[in-house]
Amino acid sequence: MQLALFIIVAIFTIGGALGVVATRNVVHAALFLLLSLLGAAGAYLLLFAEFLALVQVLIYGGAITIVVLFAVMLTRSSEYPRITDNKQWPLALLTAAALSGVLGAAFWLAPEVVAEPQAPVFSDLAASLFTKWALPFEIASLVLLVALIGAIIIARAQNVDAPTDASSDGEA
Amino acid sequence: MVPLLYFQLLGAALFGIGLYGVLARRSAVLIVLSIELMLNAVNINLIAAASYLNGIGRFDAFDGQIIAIFVITVAAAEVGLAFAIILRMYRNRGTVNVDEINILKW
Amino acid sequence: MPLAFLIPVFSFVACPLIILFQRWLPGRGAPLAILAIGGGFVVWALATIGFLGASPDNPACDVSAITGALTCHFSTDWFTAGVPGNEITDVIHLDWGILIDPLTIVLLGLITFVALGVQLYSLEYMKGDPRFGWYYAWQALFVAAMLTLALADNFLLLYIAWELVGLCSYLLIGFWFEQPGPREAAKKAFVVTRIGDVGLLVGILLLWLNVGSFSMTDAFAAVAAGELSNGVITAVAILLLLGAMGKSAQFPFHVWLPDAMEGPTPVSALIHAATMVIAGVYLVARAYPIFAASPEALLIIAIIGIITALGAATIALVSTDLKRILAYSTVSHLGLMMLSLGAGGWIAAVFHLMAHGFAKALLFLGAGSVMHGVGAHGDVDIRRVGGLRRAMPLTATAFSIGALSLGGIPILSGFWSKDEILLSVSHHLPAIFIVLAFLTAFLSALYMARAMFVVFFGSEGEDSHHAHESPILMTGVLAVLAVLAVGFGWIAFNWPGAFGGFGSFVFYDHAEGFHFNPLIAGLSVLLAVAAFALAWLVYVRRGWSHESLRARFAPVLRVVENRYYVDETYQWVIDRVVLTVSAALAFFDRAVVNDVGINGPGDVVRRVGVALRLHVTGHVYSYALVVALGVIALAIFWWLRSA
Repeated sequence: MQLALFIIVAIFTIGGALGVVATRNVVHAALFLLLSLLGAAGAYLLLFAEFLALVQVLIYGGAITIVVLFAVMLTRSSEYPRITDNKQWPLALLTAAALSGVLGAAFWLAPEVVAEPQAPVFSDLAASLFTKWALPFEIASLVLLVALIGAIIIARAQNVDAPTDASSDGEA
Repeated sequence: MVPLLYFQLLGAALFGIGLYGVLARRSAVLIVLSIELMLNAVNINLIAAASYLNGIGRFDAFDGQIIAIFVITVAAAEVGLAFAIILRMYRNRGTVNVDEINILKW
Repeated sequence: MPLAFLIPVFSFVACPLIILFQRWLPGRGAPLAILAIGGGFVVWALATIGFLGASPDNPACDVSAITGALTCHFSTDWFTAGVPGNEITDVIHLDWGILIDPLTIVLLGLITFVALGVQLYSLEYMKGDPRFGWYYAWQALFVAAMLTLALADNFLLLYIAWELVGLCSYLLIGFWFEQPGPREAAKKAFVVTRIGDVGLLVGILLLWLNVGSFSMTDAFAAVAAGELSNGVITAVAILLLLGAMGKSAQFPFHVWLPDAMEGPTPVSALIHAATMVIAGVYLVARAYPIFAASPEALLIIAIIGIITALGAATIALVSTDLKRILAYSTVSHLGLMMLSLGAGGWIAAVFHLMAHGFAKALLFLGAGSVMHGVGAHGDVDIRRVGGLRRAMPLTATAFSIGALSLGGIPILSGFWSKDEILLSVSHHLPAIFIVLAFLTAFLSALYMARAMFVVFFGSEGEDSHHAHESPILMTGVLAVLAVLAVGFGWIAFNWPGAFGGFGSFVFYDHAEGFHFNPLIAGLSVLLAVAAFALAWLVYVRRGWSHESLRARFAPVLRVVENRYYVDETYQWVIDRVVLTVSAALAFFDRAVVNDVGINGPGDVVRRVGVALRLHVTGHVYSYALVVALGVIALAIFWWLRSA
């Protein structure tokens, strides 16, 4: 039963990921990403990490995907590029396969864990987050603030018709 | 009962796919999406380890999950910054294709 | 007498004054230069009177144990180098001062007198020259340096003056530097004498290393005391001789002197006949204690002297340019002086130096008068002038007196001095030398007679129609010099009264009276008269055809007329050896030093950079790929290590 659920979740996750790296359409890619992220949330549920699953759906599925879609809209070219991959893609495929292989082999050869997944109590999670991890938590909020301000500064339009000077100094 | 290994292999596969996306795609937007995939692969790995290894060795029950929360936080910040940069890039150069942006070439 | 140092100082002061203020000075500063040398002449006269009255009681004067002559020495601090108490470097202390002995006295007299005459003469000769002021500035500098050279009491000061006269010679030979001839001649003179000067400098330094002092008195005392090994003495002597050969135009350094005739004629008279070129002879005479201690060096001097004398005399016989005849004659007579020094005839050499100085200055100024008279500014081809005796009687008389004197006609001064040289050669050297010396004397008379007869007697040449006598200033100087050329020789004799003859005043080691060997004198008179008679027959009576003589001696003539191919040999050496070596060195410099040593590292860096920069693609995914590969490598590395 659980294995069946895992397989379904894995198919969603991997399939979504493959869709992200394979599709030509950027909007499709964002939607495939959403699929993959939801699959991951499913995996979290299987691991009894319900809070994480919720956060995953809320932040990734909601906020990040919407940001991505905004970005896609703002930067969309009139037509989709015929070639979506750059010239080094065979090498990239080899490298990615090699890294996956190394990671998989490492997991495979590691000593087998016989324990069962456990369902933690959420109040303990909250207690741990605000006691043991309080300082990193505050730092994380600061990081978010800095990133927010930085993003605003970088993305702010200096003049309205900025793209006109594009490719003036570009070279092939 | 699903062994830990399956989740780990799932994470490894997802990481590899994300890496391929980072290395092979032309669009900066797609590269950022691929990075998100890689971060998720890490998250799956972390949470799986946290669930299975609770109480084994020095692992605490929620350390993995809390680190995953931080990863998500940082990912959110990273996405925000990344798209700000992409936006600026698009405005300045009229494209988001990274293979057309090589002014730091030799 | 201590104020004798003022003799050169006047002219040293005059030179910069003329250079700076020539535009505002009356006569472009020429009177200032003449005044300076005139003052020098007066001081010389006073110093001479003082010196003649001096006795060994004078604290500054002493009878030298080495030269045997009364020597007055005045010196003061020059500079001190080094730190007292420092163990690494000795403290070097130098005095400078003046050394007055009979040799200095007579030389100063010659220089000041001839210089005064030449500068007066130049007032007319150089009139209208655009750089009239500069001419007198360089003249003043030259006179000052030459007088310093004669007065110097140490070798360092002598060397400074030595180089200064060389510089002035360069400047005055190249005075008309707009024309290529003087320009090239000046360069040649400077470079050729410089070769000898290097020898002189090395010799002085070698002497200093062994004696520890630049002072001449110290050096001579050290040599006399036997503190120096024979090898060192000979080496020093030969090195000093190199300098003397360069300055006095001895073979093989004689090539610059004939070319130096490109300069103004008064310059030739002063520098290249009467004063600067005798500096070499003076140096040998001055440093004679060193040479006398080395028989080998004396023999070398004699050999070089006779080669120079004979070779130059033959060339003078076939030259057609009046000034070049005189130049080769100068070279020849300088050779005779060297020969005399080499033969131990020190007095004869100095005596001939004086007699020749006056006579040759007279001849050069006479030649200048001829050039002035016929309007030539440059060469006077003796084939194109003739019969000038009618248009220029004063010049002709003066020139003839000079020629007869130098040719060795009795009772003129050249006869006595040449006789002394022949005598000492016959006494001290192998028979071959005396034979060659007689031959030289004969040739000397012959070429002087040729120049005299062709220019002033015989039929008129094509260039001599408009000839006119020179102004009184020029002829006046000629007249005074002519009187000296006639009468100077008579001071050689022991006249009744206080004066014991030249040899009792100027001498080395011991005073000598005038020697008179009837055999030598008779032979020499015979040869001289024969030479003049022969020249008269050929050039005036035309008893023998010029052309038939030329044809008979054609092969010899070709060699001699090409000046024994010395210049050509030098040119060949420069072209073939020097330039080849230089080209090889230049190639080495370009190919190895520059291309490999200097550009090489740069090239390597650039090529490596060109190769290395290819990894900077500018594509962000390339960098990411490398990062990923690095992660894989690290993972495998750690994994293997932990396993």
